[in-house]
Amino acid sequence: MNLKISALDYVQEVQNGNISAEDFIASTLERIRSVDEKLHAFLNVNEDALNQAREIDKKIKSGQKVGACFGMPISIKDNMCIKNSKTTCASKMLENFVAPYDATVISKLKAKDAIFIGKVNMDEFAMGLTTEFSAYGPSKNPWNLDYTPGGSSGGSAVSVSAFECVASLGSDTGGSVRNPASFCSVVGLKPTYGLISRFGLISYANSIEQIGPVTRTVKDNAFLLNMIAGLDSNDNTTVDNKNEDYLSGIDSGIEGKKIGIIKEMIADGTDPAVLSATKEAISKLENLGATCEEVSLDMVKYSVAAYYTITATEAGSNLARYDNLRYGYDFSLEGYEFNSYIQKARKNFGPEVTRRMIIGGFVPSAGHAGKYFLKALKVKNKLTKEINEAFKKYDLLLSPTVPVLPFKLGEKIDDPVALFLVDINTVTANLTGKPAISVPFAISNGLPIGIQFLADSMNENMLLQAAYALEKTVKLPEVPI
Amino acid sequence: MTKIGLEIHCQLTNLESKLFCSCKANYRQFDINENICPVCMGLPGSLPRLNQDAVKKATMIAMALNCSTPEKIAFFRKNYFYPDLPKNFQITQLNIYGDTSVGGSGSIMVGDKKIRITRIQLEEDPGRLIYEGNSSKNQITLVDYNRAGTPLVEIVTEPDFENPKQVREFLNILSDLLENLGVSDPSLEGAMRADANVSIEGGKKVEIKNIGSFHDLEKAVHFEITRQESLHSREIEISQETRHWDDKRKITISSRSKEEALDYRYFLEGDIPWVTINPEILQKLKLEMPESISSKKERYVSKYKIPNQVADVLSSDKFYSDLFEDSHTEANAKEIANIITTDLMGLVDTREKREASKITPKHLGDLADAIQNGKISRNSAKNALHEIVKTGKELSQIITDLDLGNVSDESELLVIIKDVISEEPQAVEQAKSNPQTINYLVGKVMQKTKGKADPKLTLDVLKKQIEQ
Amino acid sequence: MVTEEEIEKVAKLMKIEVDDHKEYVDKVHAMIDYFDILDSAGVEDEEITMQEIPITDLREDEYIPFEEKLIEKLNHYKGTYVRAPKMS
Repeated sequence: MNLKISALDYVQEVQNGNISAEDFIASTLERIRSVDEKLHAFLNVNEDALNQAREIDKKIKSGQKVGACFGMPISIKDNMCIKNSKTTCASKMLENFVAPYDATVISKLKAKDAIFIGKVNMDEFAMGLTTEFSAYGPSKNPWNLDYTPGGSSGGSAVSVSAFECVASLGSDTGGSVRNPASFCSVVGLKPTYGLISRFGLISYANSIEQIGPVTRTVKDNAFLLNMIAGLDSNDNTTVDNKNEDYLSGIDSGIEGKKIGIIKEMIADGTDPAVLSATKEAISKLENLGATCEEVSLDMVKYSVAAYYTITATEAGSNLARYDNLRYGYDFSLEGYEFNSYIQKARKNFGPEVTRRMIIGGFVPSAGHAGKYFLKALKVKNKLTKEINEAFKKYDLLLSPTVPVLPFKLGEKIDDPVALFLVDINTVTANLTGKPAISVPFAISNGLPIGIQFLADSMNENMLLQAAYALEKTVKLPEVPI
Repeated sequence: MTKIGLEIHCQLTNLESKLFCSCKANYRQFDINENICPVCMGLPGSLPRLNQDAVKKATMIAMALNCSTPEKIAFFRKNYFYPDLPKNFQITQLNIYGDTSVGGSGSIMVGDKKIRITRIQLEEDPGRLIYEGNSSKNQITLVDYNRAGTPLVEIVTEPDFENPKQVREFLNILSDLLENLGVSDPSLEGAMRADANVSIEGGKKVEIKNIGSFHDLEKAVHFEITRQESLHSREIEISQETRHWDDKRKITISSRSKEEALDYRYFLEGDIPWVTINPEILQKLKLEMPESISSKKERYVSKYKIPNQVADVLSSDKFYSDLFEDSHTEANAKEIANIITTDLMGLVDTREKREASKITPKHLGDLADAIQNGKISRNSAKNALHEIVKTGKELSQIITDLDLGNVSDESELLVIIKDVISEEPQAVEQAKSNPQTINYLVGKVMQKTKGKADPKLTLDVLKKQIEQ
Repeated sequence: MVTEEEIEKVAKLMKIEVDDHKEYVDKVHAMIDYFDILDSAGVEDEEITMQEIPITDLREDEYIPFEEKLIEKLNHYKGTYVRAPKMS
């Protein structure tokens, strides 16, 4: 069984009767068994997947209507609720939490006959960009097991890259889909804020984060986006996309398009290999008929500080509910008084979450909001104005997804500020609500490099067209696992 | 000078669903924790879904209190840990980035006194804590979240009250107003709660929290003023503090001072975009608003010549004014107003009696018409009303069943009148010269008919007989 | 400059008990110090804005009970109560 086929090919093959969902799922499970001990992408695997695949095969054989995913195995980041299954956010705090309802993206994919092959690893509560902050141990980069796969949706990128599933859903608060996609050489999309319902996505920084598809091809990404995008009455922040079809016209090319190269995202500190890959991408795009020139977004310099201020504040509030009274993990309250119990119970948060929670209590507090939190909101506003101006002139903006190459596990874990700077190219899309995508572009010394496009709000079509055009210009080696 | 300010919490009990989810707004009928869902329990991944009607009803309250109503409203998180708060923050409103709560500054007249309203905000009610065990050592805290997420409107006033009497008058006006708007039933337990702040001349401001009813609010304010005055007279300094109302002992007690003031870290709730309410919608809401109590009263007096005091009573109570509105015609309005205020109010003077009452607007109309057409005397009407309230039977049926109909058959009446004339020769003689005496004779006829003689007809026939 | 006392005060506010003080204080310090860069962004005059939704797009007021007895899936005590520690 060829597990390396794209999502679109999978659908074709099952539809034509060349393969069965059951066989594909069985092979996928076998693949997970054989490689995941090394990679640790999965936190748990769906024991019922084979039965579900058989049901779908039955439907196909008897000529019943089958959903567009035809039993495709999709992995889900463990911060999205699947009814009656464990959702831990890779935290000890939610060790025993079984979600009593389905996230909107989950019910949409269920209706399309997708099979959730398992829940995948992440940084605890999505705070991190290496997957090292998972309470259940880090995931490994399939390109080199000594390296981080990126994060926080590390498990999503690893499972897709290493053929443990066909596609995955991650979430992106400041690059958490695009960063691991870049590090693992897969395609990762952060859509326009509000394009995909967040209902059932466990909040980290709710005002800027989005669920995003992780796939091996750009077309697959558009396919998955078609399944999950659109207005949802359960999420007041969703916007109407009028059932747009992101696959149609995806091969329109980028001839005549104007692309702005964000100066602040190729500044000093950018790895030379990343820089030269970016230049190569620009020249390929120019060969396809696009015009590229540098553009400055002054506020990008402050974006990381603004990003961490805002996310810490929202996280401090979003994670306050984890007091272990209504759900959580086993820890008796006998003999405790309220404050001491909550403080003890919340020691199950890992160190990074704890740090950010302290920051989240500090930066919006009465005496400090003016210096930190309000300023951060204002930077967000000004950055949005700047990027809106840029989109009056350019159809798309471009940068390397991450300014550095994937680094070794443990290399930066003790230096929070060094980790901050890895986010410099990705947080702008979140702070401004714009869609952005990371496309695999190069392999340098066996380590992947991704190129990021940004487009104006609700302009995912053009974003995917550009990504597809760039994807077609390269032939990358296969993942060595 | 004594200064009193209030923070009134009013549940929008007449809504169907909670503020951010589709659970029942009126939680009182449910068993413990049976009116909950992932949203009001703040489960991981859940998001608030704002109730459109809650915003509309809260806006109506703002309009009725003459408050400004912004075109954009925003929600904020108030962050603090408490077991009755499933998310450990409360979604509420605030005016830190301009006026973005449902109501800005406004005012309302209480007698001759103008009470300024600071703001009106829409927020979610927490759950309820129940303490078991008699000492703090073996105390067990239990939580029922059925109430969590119930839509709550907070009305904040300036410290414009000078005495408990003004507070009481304001509360009466306010509960009538809320009931008249159809947004809340103030008589439901826990539907109206309040905090107050009280300061006397030369003293610091003291906050009183946790006052569970309007009734207790007046008492609490009164207690607190007395307490502060007594301190003042003994030259003891009144310190700024928060006190709690103990509703068993009816006193305020100092809250054990928290180590430091809480920092709520207010910030915008990102899960709810700013809600825009354009001028056309505000205008439409204004038109949909029920007529105000004062305008109703004015109409009753000018259009139907209903006496001032009767109109006052009738207009300020929604139950009675609704009955009146749905039953009256131009001709019988005054009669119906009388029936309601003199008889009906005595019959259904409690919430339970009102709910059990079977009376409909049609009953009232029928009854007033019957009185005006002489089919039934006022006296019998009272008995009929009693029966209507109890059984809900048709008036005609009741008249037959209880034999309450007027004796309006002239020949039947003539027999009785002739009896009276022969029994009271002296009075008949007097009546010829003194018209007042004829009333005595009418009374005698009434006695004989047990009050069922048609009074007008009786008088006519009597006069004719005496003159003969 | 953020003091150690301030950080401890905040930890308490956030109901977080910290064992290894040095570890937390140093890292949190470094992170917060980095935010000083915001001072030079020159954004004092910027507004704070947010996404908007017309009132007419909000949910209608309708009672729809949750599909199952949620409390049975949550921690419960003495019937269907949720238990909390004693309040001081």
